[in-house]
Amino acid sequence: MRYVIIGNGVAGTTAALTLRAREPEAEITMISGESDYFFSRTALMYAYMDRMTLRDLEPHERKVFAKQRIDLVRDWVVDLDATERTLRLKSGKTIAYERLLLATGSLGTRLDWPGLQSAKEGVVHFVTLDDLAQCERVTPSTSEAVVVGGGLIGVELVECLAFHGKKVTYLVRSPWYWPGALAMEESEIITEHIRRHGVDLRGTEEVDEVLLGADGRVRGVRAKSGAEFGCQMLGIAIGVSPAVDWLRTVKTPPKIERGIRVSPSFETSLPAVWAAGDCAEFAQDGEWVVEQIWYSAKRQGELAARAMLGDRVRYEPPIFYNSAKFFEIEYTSTGSIGKPPEGSRTFFCRIPGKEASVRIVEQNGAVVGVNMLGARWDHTFFERWITERRSMDYVVNHLREAQFDVEFARVEIAAVEASYKQWRSPVSS
Amino acid sequence: MVREGKLSWLTHDLTHRGVTAWLLTVLLTGFYLVLYYTEVFTSVARAIGLDSKWTFYGLVYTSAIVVGGIFVLRKYRHNRYQVVRTSVVMFVQAVFAFSIPAILKFFHQPEYYFSYFWPLKFDDFVPGTIFHLPLVYILYSFLGSLLLVPVLGIFFGKRWYCSWVCGCGGLANTAGDPLRHLTSKSSAAWKFEKIAIHTVLTVCVALTALLFVTWGVGNRAPALARFTSGFQTFYAFLVVAMLSGVVGAGLYPIGGTRIWCRNFCPMAALLGLVQKFGRFRITVKDNMCISCGLCSKYCEMGIDVRSYAQANQSFTRASCVGCGLCAEVCPRGVLRLENVRRRHPQELALVQISPARGGSRVAI
Repeated sequence: MRYVIIGNGVAGTTAALTLRAREPEAEITMISGESDYFFSRTALMYAYMDRMTLRDLEPHERKVFAKQRIDLVRDWVVDLDATERTLRLKSGKTIAYERLLLATGSLGTRLDWPGLQSAKEGVVHFVTLDDLAQCERVTPSTSEAVVVGGGLIGVELVECLAFHGKKVTYLVRSPWYWPGALAMEESEIITEHIRRHGVDLRGTEEVDEVLLGADGRVRGVRAKSGAEFGCQMLGIAIGVSPAVDWLRTVKTPPKIERGIRVSPSFETSLPAVWAAGDCAEFAQDGEWVVEQIWYSAKRQGELAARAMLGDRVRYEPPIFYNSAKFFEIEYTSTGSIGKPPEGSRTFFCRIPGKEASVRIVEQNGAVVGVNMLGARWDHTFFERWITERRSMDYVVNHLREAQFDVEFARVEIAAVEASYKQWRSPVSS
Repeated sequence: MVREGKLSWLTHDLTHRGVTAWLLTVLLTGFYLVLYYTEVFTSVARAIGLDSKWTFYGLVYTSAIVVGGIFVLRKYRHNRYQVVRTSVVMFVQAVFAFSIPAILKFFHQPEYYFSYFWPLKFDDFVPGTIFHLPLVYILYSFLGSLLLVPVLGIFFGKRWYCSWVCGCGGLANTAGDPLRHLTSKSSAAWKFEKIAIHTVLTVCVALTALLFVTWGVGNRAPALARFTSGFQTFYAFLVVAMLSGVVGAGLYPIGGTRIWCRNFCPMAALLGLVQKFGRFRITVKDNMCISCGLCSKYCEMGIDVRSYAQANQSFTRASCVGCGLCAEVCPRGVLRLENVRRRHPQELALVQISPARGGSRVAI
């Protein structure tokens, strides 16, 4: 069997290794235009901050691919012919496949702000190796930077720029930082923390126009509020979108909406073509969704490979979880978070003496979501408790088991318990 | 990308095998050679009122640990494991490895280092030396080496010694902290480590046995006595002077801080074997690793921690000294050092696991 994978990211590479583990004789080719070898995109910020080299970002030793007989092709795919089962590459070469996996990932979302199109220098994203190269190129000639977008990539870029001693203005559209994942109380802790690092974080600011100098270099942005922020570097981090635009114009495009539409077994609308990872869009509870998280891409990559091998696969995303680090504050989240569901009640408590907090959301007597800040927790416990529909009492009483902090540094659960008691029956105390 | 500025250039160059790092290496190895084979530091020691060049060396070494330790305490002040561990290692060095031997010597008592044990401190097990000491020292040496070290190793892993007590680890984890990432993570380096460290251990055990035999036989076999003495001199030169001193500390700026501990220390080899059967492990949180690689990058023992973390595989590696820096640098809180009652047999496996989830294993 001849397998070809487009994209050498985590979905593509996991798929390739899964295929190899199961089919020792198969031919496996992985094509990437971005890099020679699989690297960890999530660690771009550490390369930017001099904590790692680009080589350090590679999760496998290079010889692994030779040993696993995975042919790596460094090229861009420009055409897909699903009837002939061939791919045409930018170099002019043609590659034939029997089974194809599209794992092209995503790119930084671009919006059509006035002025943006004509910007010749100073506008950066922070998703690809090219983006990093751009950032590093304009860093020395920058003293003030503006970053737009209140998500994870935004705060990472902000941290990098602060590290390089830039005066950073961080513009967030919503009234508080990252309302998609954080309630106001947590967001306040994070906002205060980010500001303490010298970053000027502004809520309720939306870009209206990108201002350019005579040479085409960014010289600032004007917000809808009318405020102007001067900068020589504008970081756009308003999310990521499936990298599928190139597929819309190939000879036989698969069905694409936001991403490549796939069945629960990762089949696209084309025969013998599957898609997985950030670029795939699948149905969940009657809605079409794209999962753009490292671990979901990894999981999808493995399952898509198994589907390609002929296994019966039915993908159902597990209970949502994620983790992050905002400068020094760690964050773990599981289940339904963000806007609390109707009829739910929420216990929130700040852990005294730490930039840390605990949030537990309960609906109809069962915990549905947990949001933790400033301490380490094992999300698998939360997943289990949510699946088992445990009550808030149960979760608080067992919270100790889920602690994952370093030795000598466990959060004082007693404080959380006391606060919970108070919250549950304020009269009795 | 290196931060702008001359000072940033210098710190980067010093910590990334730049010109200044090579210069520092030449200086450090030179320092050890001068210390071992000349009397230059004897006069320096006398000039500042110390009795010998070794006391002077002890003072320099202890100062490096204390000053470096203060920086480390500041750097990792948010992490209590690091704060406690660093404080202990500084205390042990200042008290047990420097002050107490100096005080003992001042009162004309045997100069004994209570923080060192066989097989690292080889002399304490040489019958010709130890049996001349008072009984307390003999008991401490034998019970310490043969009972205390392995028992604590079973319960807490080798970390109780290698990153909490030992001076070699003490220097690596304090003054050496900015160089910890230089240790090679390649599988070839791992292969070398396994062969080298077990060879030294074997030689060390053989030499110890030979010393006891020679002592038992006494004057009846002068040829054996000569051979044993030659063997001991050779070991002292190659292992103690060269590998632990000149190579082990001298090459810090090029090869990282644990060259000795990782590749040559017989005590680390022995404790590593104990660790494999003990309770210590690094627990990996399921499916939370983003393969960023900070854990591997900052592992001073050259363990590719990421290969386990991304395979969702809790593990115990013989070489792990439990410094806890992998857990410290992990941006997703995936790793935790633990002493657990029971471990899964797979945690001890030496085979690498494919990144694919679900345990599909590939011999890489």
